[in-house]
Parts: sequence; structure tokens; C-alpha cells
Amino acid sequence: MSVHSHPGDETLLRHAAGTLPAGPRLLVETHLQGCPACRITLRRFEAVGGALLEAAEPVALASDALARTLARLGPAPTTTGLRAGGARPDHLEAGFAGVATARRGPEGLWLPDGVRLPRPLAARRIGALMPVAPGVRVGRVHVPEDAQSSVFLFQIGPGRAIPRHTHAGTEYTHVICGGFSDPSGHYGPGDLVEADADVDHSPRVDDEGTCVCLAAFEGRPRFHGLLGVVLRPFL
Amino acid sequence: MSAAPPASGPETGADLSALIVAIARDADRDAFARLFRHFAPRVKAFLMRGGLSANAAEELAQETLLAVWRKAAYFDPARAAASTWIFTIARNLSIDLKRRERYTGTVDAEALEEAADEASGETILMSAEREARVRAALARLSEEQATIVRLSFFQEKPHSQIAQELGIPLGTAKSRVRLALSRLRTLLEDLK
Repeated sequence: MSVHSHPGDETLLRHAAGTLPAGPRLLVETHLQGCPACRITLRRFEAVGGALLEAAEPVALASDALARTLARLGPAPTTTGLRAGGARPDHLEAGFAGVATARRGPEGLWLPDGVRLPRPLAARRIGALMPVAPGVRVGRVHVPEDAQSSVFLFQIGPGRAIPRHTHAGTEYTHVICGGFSDPSGHYGPGDLVEADADVDHSPRVDDEGTCVCLAAFEGRPRFHGLLGVVLRPFL
Repeated sequence: MSAAPPASGPETGADLSALIVAIARDADRDAFARLFRHFAPRVKAFLMRGGLSANAAEELAQETLLAVWRKAAYFDPARAAASTWIFTIARNLSIDLKRRERYTGTVDAEALEEAADEASGETILMSAEREARVRAALARLSEEQATIVRLSFFQEKPHSQIAQELGIPLGTAKSRVRLALSRLRTLLEDLK
């Protein structure tokens, strides 16, 4: 699978730095699983973190800090007791199709054969998908440690429009299956799209099939019309 | 088998990598002590720049070095600079700390930890000898661009901080950030 739309440099740098809020971070992690190019950029930005660490002007610890830490060292480090993770990069190289979770999706979610929920979602509680407009179902992905963002799983039928909305901060959308178009282009599985705060858009799903996508909003999104009323309890 | 390098003078990147290898192979507590003396004060400084209090940063710096002891077997000096590997451990612990502070309800902690471990597995990075070249790339940024990169790294709301520090409007800050990070990425891409 080839991915066409990627997180911006700033988003990847903030991910590398650990300053991206948990909601968007979940989407970037999902994108990274299927995008070797962004994993390389991320590694380079992490190396910048290493260089900044090495260059940091040291700040002394308490005089007994080393002694106390030495006293806490466990037995000789071994790989037993750590997760059997030695072979972990395999699934990361397997591309999007190989990215799977054993966990079943939330109630009300339909996924085509061979498509699973991305692994980063496995640790998350996802509310049942509820119909909120003709052909549109939404479930909330719980990211309780991030009060500033909200994350939703959308399932949108062929030819349907994703409800029009505006938002206070950046909106991130990751396509899990299917595809959609907006004035900036066409997006398919594995793509991550960032939209600035001032964008008021209404992307349209391809005629060929249902689109399932993950969306994170920094700041509360405002949906227009009836959907805004229906979604309010979620926001 | 290679013992830890002799302790004399400032530690080089290769020395630091060898210390982690010595911990993994021999549970070498002297190697750990040297690594601690080099990195713990830097991790503390780094976390304080990121907004942690001195106490919290000191605590997390020790936790970071403890994690280095436990995970040393996963360090591969052919693929990672010691500084970068330790940076990613400190970063992940810092994310965990913020999560615990902001939320005390029930999440699937086991699965989260697994995800974090996988993330740190992924952060086995660029070979150690490239460390100096990453520094060289940073040195080629203009002073303003270097400031932007640092602030983008440490600030949770970098645009407003950058606008303030450079005395420029917010909109200008956004486009300068874009330019600076694009140049940084290009310089790093040249490190074949």
C-alpha cells in the first residue's frame, strides 16, 4: 500500500519530542504503523532529541541520588521478564495489511474482510458506533488523559458526506479503509490528513465503498445542523 | 568480550554505548554509575526545560536510568546512539507521568504499557557514529531556526512561545516554524 498524505514536519517533531497531546498522538501512531517513510523521519527527529539531551547543560542531582539509585537496581538485567519483544519490528514492516489487533472492534462497527482495527487502538475503549445522520455512524474513542482533544471513529457510507464542521484547533483524520475527497485531494487507507483551524469543509466518501476513519480534534469541533445537536453529548 | 572502556576524561558517544553494552552483558554496576553520572544530570536538565519541576525532573531522571538498567539488553549500539536511546526512554516516562497526573481512572494499563514498549522498540534509531553528524546538521541552522527547533521540542504550545521569544506575530511564527523544520528535515536527510 502506498500512503500519499502524511503528518506535517511539526506534528512528527512534536511526536518525537513527546509534546503532542494524546489524541493526535494516537492518530500519528496509527499512521506510523503503515508508513515507513514517516518512521524514518521520526527517527531522525528523535536523534535531534538525543543531540539536545547530550548538549543539555547538566543540572546536579542530590548528592545521594546515585547511591539511592544503585540501591534500587534489581538483579542483573535480562530479557526474561521483559515482554517477548525482540521480534517486534516484524509487524511494523508488514505494512498496513499486517497491522492487526486481536481485539474485536466496538459494537456497531463494520469492517471489510481483511481489515482490522489498527493496533494503537487496542488499548483504547471505544464506544458503540451510533447512527448520527443517514449513512453516518460515530463512536467515541476514549482518551481520558487528554482533556483538550476528542477522538472519534467514523463509519460513513458510500457517496455520503462527512458532516460539515469547523474546529478551534487542528483536525487530524486517518483513513482506515475506503476513501474520501475534499477540495485538497483524495485520501485512502493509511493517509493522515491535517486540516487547520480555519478550514470549514465537508469531505465526501467515495462511491465505491464505506469509509472508516479516525478523527482527532484539538479543541472542540462544532458540527453544523442537526448533527451538532445529536453529537453534543459526545463532545 | 569487551569490558567497559577505562574511565578517564569526558565520555564519548562510543564510550557511552559501550557502557550500556557492559550493563547488558555483565550487569556492570560501575558502568551504570558512569552512565548515571553522565546522563542523569542531563536528563534532569532536559526535563526541566520541558516544564517539569526540579523535584519531578530529578525523580524521573533516576527512573530513566533505572529503565536503562532493566532494558539494556535491547540497546543495539550499531543502530542507536546512547543519547538518543536514553532520550526516548525519558520521553516515554515523561508521557506516562503526564498521563497519570491528568487521569486517574481505569485504562487498560497493561495494553498501554505494551504499546509504549513497542514504541521504544521502534526508537532504536540511527547508528551511533551519526550522532556527531546530527549535531553538525543542527549547527548549520541559523540561530533563529535553532531557537525554533528547540522551542518546538520543549514547548507544548510552541507557536505562541516562539512568537513571543522572537517578537513576531503568531501567523509569522507558524510559517517560520514550517520553514525551519523543513530545513532541518532536509539537513537530516542528507545524512545518508
